[in-house]
Parts: sequence; structure tokens; C-alpha cells
Amino acid sequence: MDNLNLDQHISRQFNADLEELKTQLLEMGGLVEQQIIDAVTAITSADSDLAEKVLVVEDEVDNREVTLDENCTMVLARRQPAASDLRMVLAVAKINRDLERMGDEAQKVAKMAIHLNEHGEAPRGYVELRHIGSLVHQMVIMALDSFARFDVDLAVKVAHEDKKVDQEYKSAMRELATYMMEDPRSISRVLNIIWSLRALERIGDHAANIAEHVIYLVKGLDVRHISVKEMERQVNESD
Amino acid sequence: MDIAQPLDKIPASSSEPAAGKAINVKEGVDQDTPVPAKPVGNPFVDDPKMKLRDVEVFYGDEQAIHGISLDIGKNEVLSMIGPSGCGKSTFLRCLNRMNDTIDICRVKGSLHLEDQDLYDPKLDVVELRARVGMVFQKPNPFPKSIYDNVAYGPRIHGLANRRSDLDEIVETSLQKAGLWKEVKDRLHSPGTGLSGGQQQRLCIARTIAVSPEVILMDEPCSALDPIATAKIEELIAELSENFTIAIVTHSMQQAARVSNRTAYFHLGKLVEVNDTEKVFTNPDHKLTEAYITGRFG
Amino acid sequence: MNKTTEKVRQTLAKRYRSEKRFRAFGIASITLGLLALVILFTDIIGKGHSAFIEHRVTLEVSFDADVLQISDVNDADQVTYGNYIAAIRAAMSEQFPEVQNRSERKQLNGLISSSAEFELRDMLRADHSLLGQSRTVSLQLDDAADLFFKASPGKRDGVRVTDLQKSWLLTLEERDLVTSGFNQSLFTRGDSREPEQAGMLGAILGSLFTMMVTLVLSFPIGVAAAIYLEEFAPKNKFTDFIEVNINNLAAVPSIIFGLLGVSIFIGLFGMPRSIPLVGGIVLTLMTLPTIIISSRAAIKAVPPSIRQAAMGLGASNMQVVLHHVLPLALPGMLTGAIIGMAQALGETAPLLMIGMVAFIVELPAGPVDPATVLPVQIFLWAGSPEQAFVALTSAAIMVLLAFLITMNTIAVLLRKRLERRW
Repeated sequence: MDNLNLDQHISRQFNADLEELKTQLLEMGGLVEQQIIDAVTAITSADSDLAEKVLVVEDEVDNREVTLDENCTMVLARRQPAASDLRMVLAVAKINRDLERMGDEAQKVAKMAIHLNEHGEAPRGYVELRHIGSLVHQMVIMALDSFARFDVDLAVKVAHEDKKVDQEYKSAMRELATYMMEDPRSISRVLNIIWSLRALERIGDHAANIAEHVIYLVKGLDVRHISVKEMERQVNESD
Repeated sequence: MDIAQPLDKIPASSSEPAAGKAINVKEGVDQDTPVPAKPVGNPFVDDPKMKLRDVEVFYGDEQAIHGISLDIGKNEVLSMIGPSGCGKSTFLRCLNRMNDTIDICRVKGSLHLEDQDLYDPKLDVVELRARVGMVFQKPNPFPKSIYDNVAYGPRIHGLANRRSDLDEIVETSLQKAGLWKEVKDRLHSPGTGLSGGQQQRLCIARTIAVSPEVILMDEPCSALDPIATAKIEELIAELSENFTIAIVTHSMQQAARVSNRTAYFHLGKLVEVNDTEKVFTNPDHKLTEAYITGRFG
Repeated sequence: MNKTTEKVRQTLAKRYRSEKRFRAFGIASITLGLLALVILFTDIIGKGHSAFIEHRVTLEVSFDADVLQISDVNDADQVTYGNYIAAIRAAMSEQFPEVQNRSERKQLNGLISSSAEFELRDMLRADHSLLGQSRTVSLQLDDAADLFFKASPGKRDGVRVTDLQKSWLLTLEERDLVTSGFNQSLFTRGDSREPEQAGMLGAILGSLFTMMVTLVLSFPIGVAAAIYLEEFAPKNKFTDFIEVNINNLAAVPSIIFGLLGVSIFIGLFGMPRSIPLVGGIVLTLMTLPTIIISSRAAIKAVPPSIRQAAMGLGASNMQVVLHHVLPLALPGMLTGAIIGMAQALGETAPLLMIGMVAFIVELPAGPVDPATVLPVQIFLWAGSPEQAFVALTSAAIMVLLAFLITMNTIAVLLRKRLERRW
């Protein structure tokens, strides 16, 4: 029952409204995704201009968040959606918030890039950063795709990926902690990397949240605050 | 830069509008979507006031209701929704045998109010209707005074022997219907002179004056403005403390607002019965979903 | 200007023209109807108003015992059979002493109505002391003399009086002995061969008794039948058959009902002819379909929501009908009944069949006394040869119309009043 038939309302305007919400959200997702790539690349290739671009885009994302929220409110007020439509609007509102937070985190990484460019590159951590960045970026893409296709299986995968990112993040922490002990002079710069990693890890969490909203949207199941195993069980059960 | 490579390779696919096409991949829900043999959800409750099993209704040769089984719990508000002609009103009218007045209408199945078989030939329908009251779509006060409207039921059933008893019944009924304050100074002016909403509350007062156990409401607000509707809905919530209420409504928002459980009817069959919250956030059956989200109706 | 506007403008004038034409037709037909009504009323009133007026001549009559041939005024027989005509003749010769010739005397005496002697008799009966005295009495004139005075001076030639009589009447008028006043006998007497004595009270009473019988029989039967058919009767071929027949019955010519009355009530049951009871029964048969049909319509017009409300509260079928349907349908039923009654009141044909066309002078005292009815009276008078009956016929028509209008007004008022309650 992955089919939500959003375009089958008697009211064509309602179809259009919901489609508009979806499109706006995915566009915003595209912006945030680009922010993440750019922010990570800004650090790894020491590109301050790219980092500045991320900061500029962040304003755009903030504006879009507000607009999308207004549109959600409008649909709620005018259409009083029920069932899947209601879940759709709620999910869009929640995903919207998560995307905006992801944008904020990407902004943090971009600021770190600028900081590192001003104070000299960090000796270590770039590999981890690239690796985790790539993982997180994958997650974001998967989460947005699962929303675009109302694909629950893909959403569950995102939750799995989040676990992986968490592990990678922990091992990266341990490794960077060793560097700092070895070379105390590099502490402040390595810390910048750590904060960036932390931001990427948060982005992963938000992507996982998006996946949970998608599961709520499609299945009507609230799968927050439970283990991935439990989540999988509930999703499979509801089929 | 080799490590950055995978990042760039991944396309920003999520912003592609092509993703939206996925919605159309599977076929939609329409009137021909098969209705499940057994209703999904939980049609039965632990403490039923009315127990209805395999109810079938025929108009002549045409079958209007196909084997509906359902419980109405004590002091609950059960709303019945569904597209026009789905049999919800017909079903409701079986519950106090209003269908008897239609010559060609036949009812089969087992219908019980507590232990009483509704279609027991020995049961006098007058007695049944005193236990199962009904409020109709259009406010239909008698062309008599407000007092006489409310007093009519108690009078014909001999519920009050003295004038003072009758006065009391009238007052409490009007109070319960939230109409007392508005009409206490003009009890003897005609009931038809009230506004639509007041008339409908008068009809509710008239119904509860007989102290029924179950109140059936057949689209009680369809002829009223939103304010009057809100008042009736408020009243339904209050009445559910003392009465069991079954309400047929065309307004899904109304069903969502007033009822504890919602039953969705489709083409004379029961598709889904569930807690109202469940039905309106995540219905179990796609027909229900399609109906309440306005895919067809 | 776009295309639609252009086209609309082109057709607009045409549309308005046809609208105006239609309105003109409507006004014309209404005017025609009103005109016919005005002509009818002018004609009837023009002809009939004079019947409400009568002329009397005031004479000094002496109640002389010898002339009257009454020796004992306390003897009722003598008072009854007294020779009052002689007294009147004496009074007339006093006015015109020159008349000696026998044929002239006959013409002179013919000026006074034959009812004048009864007026004198009634006076004497009321007051025995009159015997031997003389009194100034106003005596009713014969119809021809009456018509002479009613006619305008230019048209007096058309009245059937001899030249001698004409000169005497003019003389009486000159002497200021002729008075005019309201024709009381019109409403206090029964029919008569003499136009100046003919009244329609007998016909009015006959109509009233007939209507009473009709109302008492047809309203309860009609309402009961309507209620049964609408509320209780099962819907099957038999009730369909009955319904069709009731509708057919309403279309049966009324004279057929008269034939039925003759053969069943008079022939089979041996009821007397010419009585309002039989007339009433026959008219009941005739009005029943009207009442049943209108009552059923009234019952059908009761909103089903009221019925449902009562049933939903647990009222039995009978209670629903008695408490709700009947009170709401009653105005409609009453209207139907009154319209049926009005129809019956104007009905002649079936009554002719059962003999209510007989010439009856006596006033009927009840529904089993022979009587006639207003429309039949009109029919009778219209066929009478005397000139004065023309005015009487129109007067009777006016009275009948007054009754019908009153009844219809009552129907309207009743309905309004009953409906206004709720």
C-alpha cells in the first residue's frame, strides 16, 4: 500500500496543493544536499569560496522553510486533510524542520572550513571527514528519495545507515583523540574537524528522522525512539 | 581529491521532479475496488448495547444491506459514514424499525438491544421506539407549542401522571438539550417558530424526554449552519454520558469530532470499523482512506 | 464588444417583444373574464334589484261588521271567513266613486293584490277591537300595478295594464297614496303563482336542510374514507381499483346521481319524493368524491417528517393520525368540504330527478317536509310567464350567489385561521 494516490482527489486544486508541498520540499532537499557536499568539499579542498556559498544558500533554505511552513498551514486550514493527506502534510512540516536543521549543521561545517583556511589546515581527520561526509550524503539522498517515492524499504535502509555513521563517527573520534594526544599543538585545528564531524553526524540523525517521518507518512506508524530492529518488525508486520 | 570523488558522482537525485511520478505507478482506488468480505478493524466491543449480526435489508428484490455485523458499545458515540446510497441510513433505520413503514422493505439477521430481539414478532414496535429514539435530518418539531413538543412522548407513553411530573420532565429534557435558557419564557409559543438549530435541539429534547437508551441520529446537522452544528455536536458529547448514540453523517469532520468509533459503509457493506482517531489518521482499508480523503464520494 | 454580447443584443429586442406579447395576451384574457363577470352582474343586479322593492297603496279601510259579515268577533271561523274583499272594494270605490261599470269595477279591484284580504284578516285577528272602526291601511298592489310604479315614466307603456287602470294608478300616485318599501314577502313567504306574493324562504330553507343532510353525511364519510385509504389501506390492486373509481365518480354527470336517487332511495327504499333528506343523500353521493379527493390531498400534504417524528417517539399509527395528521390536514379537508358543499348548493339536475321541482307553497319545517331548493326555484321562476318573475329570478340568483360567495369566503377564512395557529 505504498501508493498514496495523491493525485486522485475529487478536488484537482487539492491534488495541486499537495503536489506543490512535495515539490517545494524536494527542492529544498536538493539545496540542503548541495550545502552538505559543498561544506565537506570546502574543508577537504580548503575552498573558502565554496564555504561562503554554503552560507549564502543557508539564507535561501531558511526562507524556504518559512514558506513551506506557511503552505502547510494553508493546506491544513483550507482542506482539513484526513488520513494519508493529513500524514502527508504533517510529514512535510516535520521533514521541512529536519532539512532546515541539516542546513544549519552544513553551515557549521562551512564555518569550520573558513576557520581552518584562516588558521592553517589540520594535520589529520580529512579522510574520516570525507568518508563520513560521503556516508551522510548518501543517507540524505536515500531519505529524500524514500520520501519522493514513498519507499518504506529505502527509509528503513536509512535507519541502518545511521547506525553505521554513528559507528564510523565513534571510531573517528577515538582516532582524532589519539592525534591530539600525540600533537597537542594541533588540538585547536583537530577540534574544528571534530566539530565538523559532529555536525555531519547530526545531519545523519536528521536524515534518519526524515526516514521515520516517511514511514509515518506511508504506513501511519510512529517509529520514533525505537530500535531499528523493532522498526523493521513493525514495518513488515503492517504489510 | 580522490576521496571527494564519490561525493561528486552522486547525483542530486532528490531534487529531480521525476521522483513525483512514482505516485502514478500503481493503479488508484475507485468505486469498483472490492469491498472486503469481513470488515477490517474492530466491529465488536466487550460491552455491547446493541448487537447486530448479519443484517441484510432488501427493498423488494434489491438488496440494500449485505450482511453487516456490528456492535454499538454502551455510552459510546458510533458514527457511520460513507458515500450516498451506501446504506448507512437504511441500517440506522433498522435499529428502531423505522423501515417497517416502507412496505417493500424486509430486514434479515439478528438485531438485539441488550437481550431484546428487535424483530421479535411479539415485540411491540411502540415499546422499542420508546427505548431507541431517533433524531432526523431535517428539524421536524410538531406544529405545537414547545412544551407540547417535549411532552408528547411522555404523554403517549403515560410516563407522567401529574401535571407537575410532566413539567419536570419537560424542564429537564430541555435543560439536557441545552435549550432551557433560551425557551423557558416562551414554552407555549410554537416550536416551529424557533431557529433551525433550536428546532433540532428541541427535537433532541423531545427524544430524550422519553428517556431512551439509544438515540439514533440521521444526519442531524445537515440542515444547520456551523454555529448551530457546533452546539448540536457539543450536545452529543454531553449526551453520550447517559445515552448510547449512533449517528449517520455526511460530514467527515463531524464524525471525527463527535464519535468514539467510526464505521465506514460502502455499497451496502461495512468496510471498516475503528476508533475514530485511527480512521481519520491511518485507516486500515484503502476504500475508507479514499473516501475520507476525498478521492471519491 | 465581443461576439456573445453582439448576439445577445440582436436577440434582446425580439425576446422583449415576445415577452410583451405574452403579457398582453394574459392581460387580455383576464380582462375578458372580468368583463364577462361585470356584464353578468350588471344584468342580474339590473334586473333583480327591483324585486327587493314593493309598492303599496294606502287606503282608508272600514272594518264594518256588515260588510265583513262578522257578527261575533270572538268566533275564529267568522274572522277567518270574513268578506274582507268587500271592505277593500269599498275602500277603492271611495277613491274612485265614478266607477260604476261592472267590468270597470273588476279592473279597479284587480289593482289590489289578492293577498290584501289576508293582511286585513291578520289585523283583525290581532286586534278584535278593530271591528266597526276604520283604519288607514297600506295594501299590497297587484304585480302589474307594482311593475307600473317600478318602471320609469317613459317605459310605463310596456306594462300590461289597461288605460283605465293606468289613469287610476296615476291618480293614486297624485293623491300621494302610493308608498314604496322593502319587499319583505320575498324573504318571509314560500312560492306563489302571484309574483307579488312569491317568496324564496321555502327554497332557502329547503337548501339549508339539504345542505345540512349533505354536510352531516358527506364530511365524516369522506374524511374517514380518505384517512383509511391514505393511512391504513394496504397498497394492492383492490385499493388501486377503489382509487380509480373514486376519481371516475367525480367525473360522473350529476343527473346520473339523480337517477340513482330515484331508483334506490325512492323506488327501492320507498322514501317520499321532493324531500331534502333524499336530496341531501343524493348530493352526498355527488360531493363524496370531491371531499375524498381533497381530503386525501390534504393528508398527503402533511410533511412526512412530522409522521416520522411521531413514529420515532413511539406513537402508534392511530395516534400519528389523530394527533398529527388530522389536525394538520383539517384546514385542507374543510376547504374541500365547503367547496363540495358550494357545488352541491348550486346543483339542480339530480334534484329535478327526485321531484324537488314540485310547486310547494308551504315552508318546510324539517328535512322530511317536501321542499324545493334555490337553484330549482330559479329554474321554476325563469319558466313562469308573468313579467314580474323576471325580476324575481334575478333576485333569487343574487341570493344564491350571495350564499356561494359567503361559503367560499368562510372556506378561505377558516383555512387561514386554522393555518395561522401554527
